[in-house]
Amino acid sequence: MTFLLPLAAEGGIIENLQKSAQETAEVFGVNAWALFSQIISFSIVAFLLHKLAYKPILNVLEERRKKIAEGLANAEKIKVQLAESEARVQEILTKANVDAQRLIDEARASAQVVADRRTQQAIAEAEQIIAKAREATGIEREKIMAELKREVGRLVIDTTSRVTGKVLTQADQKRINEEASREVAA
Amino acid sequence: MLGISSFATVAVRAAEAAPKTAEVASAQQAAPETEKAEEEHHGLPQNAPVLGGKYLQVTSSMVWTWIIALGIIIFARYATRQIKEVPEGAQNFWEWLVESLRDFLESIIGRELVKKTFWFFATLFIFILFANWAGLIPGVGTIGWGIPDAQGGLHHISKPLFRGVNADLNMTLGMSLLFFVLWIIWAFQANGFGGMIMHIFGPKGEMKSFWGKAGMVVIFAIVGVLELISIAFRPVSLSFRLYGNIFAGENILESMSNIVPGLSWLIPVPFYFMELLVGIAQALVFMLLTAVFTMLICQHEEDHH
Repeated sequence: MTFLLPLAAEGGIIENLQKSAQETAEVFGVNAWALFSQIISFSIVAFLLHKLAYKPILNVLEERRKKIAEGLANAEKIKVQLAESEARVQEILTKANVDAQRLIDEARASAQVVADRRTQQAIAEAEQIIAKAREATGIEREKIMAELKREVGRLVIDTTSRVTGKVLTQADQKRINEEASREVAA
Repeated sequence: MLGISSFATVAVRAAEAAPKTAEVASAQQAAPETEKAEEEHHGLPQNAPVLGGKYLQVTSSMVWTWIIALGIIIFARYATRQIKEVPEGAQNFWEWLVESLRDFLESIIGRELVKKTFWFFATLFIFILFANWAGLIPGVGTIGWGIPDAQGGLHHISKPLFRGVNADLNMTLGMSLLFFVLWIIWAFQANGFGGMIMHIFGPKGEMKSFWGKAGMVVIFAIVGVLELISIAFRPVSLSFRLYGNIFAGENILESMSNIVPGLSWLIPVPFYFMELLVGIAQALVFMLLTAVFTMLICQHEEDHH
């Protein structure tokens, strides 16, 4: 504390500080009005720089920051939406595959049914045609047989009358004719 | 006599051509200034000459302040006249400067405090930086009024029209005091009256015993008094540091110009580069110190952890 003694001896620390401050102020030209003027001047400069120089650019930076934040949020939203869309598309595709498979199966089944029906129908028609053909053949056969019988009967009667040399009666002709028909039928 | 003295090597003999008003002014100041001329022949005057005004005084440094501020504002308006999404040219530079400064301050004092205080700290840095650099422009400190020698030559300007802004203690002290007032406002806003008292005098740390706690209270009360003294002297240290560096720089430049009369165009060149560095370093130091002082008082105890 000895270093404070000279200060205390000449009237106290505060007075010495004041004296020292006054001397310094005089040397460096500091006075209340000049100081006040500079404070006012600098305050005006700071205010004008804030209003005219920083604010526009700070607004731009703030807007850009907001846009970037919005862009990131939108990108995130789009990412979620894309994932949802992909899931939905996958779901739709799966459903479509299932539906398509079902349709194919149904088509196959119905085609099988149609094919079976057609086959049955064709078989029936074929059988019908065969039956008709058989019937027609039978009729034709019977017709031919009847004609054959008649012709054979006539030939037998004619041959018999020529061999025997006599004219056959109606009864003989009938009897010979019936016998020839039996023989032909056998 | 009104004239130009470029570091006392390019003296303009303009006694006949000088305006009458300047002659009258010189005549009025002749007696005291003749005495001063001897001692002031080398080096700049320590105080900024008052150009006019009785109460709200206009000094040569203040004129230069307005010119620099006007220059910054005009450039900023030009840069932001047609704002584009993708910046280019002047807008790009201005955006880079402001954004870098904001991000830098945010990393030190936090986003919330930057929102409130950016206007002031940005002004401090940008204005001090450009003021320091603008003080190196030839003509600042060398255009003005002086006392001619017997042959009518003007070798020294005793009343410069422009003076380096921060080579005026009124300016640096003004900025420091304005910061001091704002610091008090921001500190009370952040802490309240009780919070401020606790912040300065409150004991930090935990003690279990009664005597331990009592001892802590006494110690931190004494520390608080020292803290108050330290706070009170901040404007002084801030203002003298800036003023001292810039004023000394200008004196060095003048001395280097006078050291070899024929080489006054060459010898100061390295010192110009040094002053460019000093200019940016001092702007940064002033802004950082004020920002850190603000952060220290506005930061709450839990923020430290």
